[in-house]
Amino acid sequence: MSIAITVKNVYNGSTIRMEVENDETMGDIIKSAAEYWRKEASAYILKKGKMLLRSSMTVAEAGIITDDVLEMIPDPEGGSR
Amino acid sequence: MITTDFVDRDRYDRMRRIDWVDVESIQSKRCLVVGAGALGNEVVKDLVLAGFRKITVVDMDHIVTSNLSRCLFFRDSDVKKVMKADVVASRASELDPEAEITPIVSDIKDLDDWHYDIVIGCLDNISARMHVNAHAYYNGIPFIDGATDGMNGRVIVILPGGPCLQCTMNRTHVEQMERRFTCTGNGTAFVPKTASDITTTAVIAAMQVREAMKIASGHPEKCVKGATYYNGTEGTMETLEVTVDPECVNHQE
Repeated sequence: MSIAITVKNVYNGSTIRMEVENDETMGDIIKSAAEYWRKEASAYILKKGKMLLRSSMTVAEAGIITDDVLEMIPDPEGGSR
Repeated sequence: MITTDFVDRDRYDRMRRIDWVDVESIQSKRCLVVGAGALGNEVVKDLVLAGFRKITVVDMDHIVTSNLSRCLFFRDSDVKKVMKADVVASRASELDPEAEITPIVSDIKDLDDWHYDIVIGCLDNISARMHVNAHAYYNGIPFIDGATDGMNGRVIVILPGGPCLQCTMNRTHVEQMERRFTCTGNGTAFVPKTASDITTTAVIAAMQVREAMKIASGHPEKCVKGATYYNGTEGTMETLEVTVDPECVNHQE
């Protein structure tokens, strides 16, 4: 059964409504959302509350339910140049 | 004669007043700083002022004009003439003549010696971070990684036995890493310029060194647990819990 969730880009406020299955992973969700925000090519992490959601974690393992809002944060890469 | 100024003759008197700080232990710890750019300058400055005396700085680049807005130790006269690691080591030594700061002008991937107590990452690309993360984790060395992008930054403390940097990564990191490579096939990394300013750099570097002080003082349990994301535009900071990824290569039996 599909679960409808919202993924929010924390830094630009943009949101995507998404339908996911219990056996899909956080990596799948990040990949789909990152493709949607392709113009802002970056590495991202996904969080729910105070938890960083691991790439291999499934929707079921993460305890995601209908209408949950997951937040995507661009993962900074710079620091040296 | 009774005097009261003796406390001002001890360089570290004010630090000793923080109950968990162990200055002598900090002075004895070997610290590897990977990267001598914006974050590296700030980190080394803070390390020396905090009492660290055994510091090795690795970087393979020379100084360019655009570094000067964020790098305390660089001067106009250094541009294109000297290497970052050499200058940071030399000028930071002036802050404390008893500090032994060793520069290594090299790609971090060529470093063979990993006999350090703490590794601090001040890098600008995921590939180098993964390399340092793997070596630090394998050698059981605490690794404190910092990263910035404009007004945003992130600090993560990796302690032996816990989740590592790679546990936080996903396909977007791999794709970002792949975007960094040229098509020459010789492994030359092309690193596009990211936005950067001294205020965010200073915040992230200070957080990294504070975590290093906790570890060096024998209090790793006081370290921030997880990955801290800083948003300098909004003035917010949030620490996210990180857990071990059973599929992470660094955590395979």
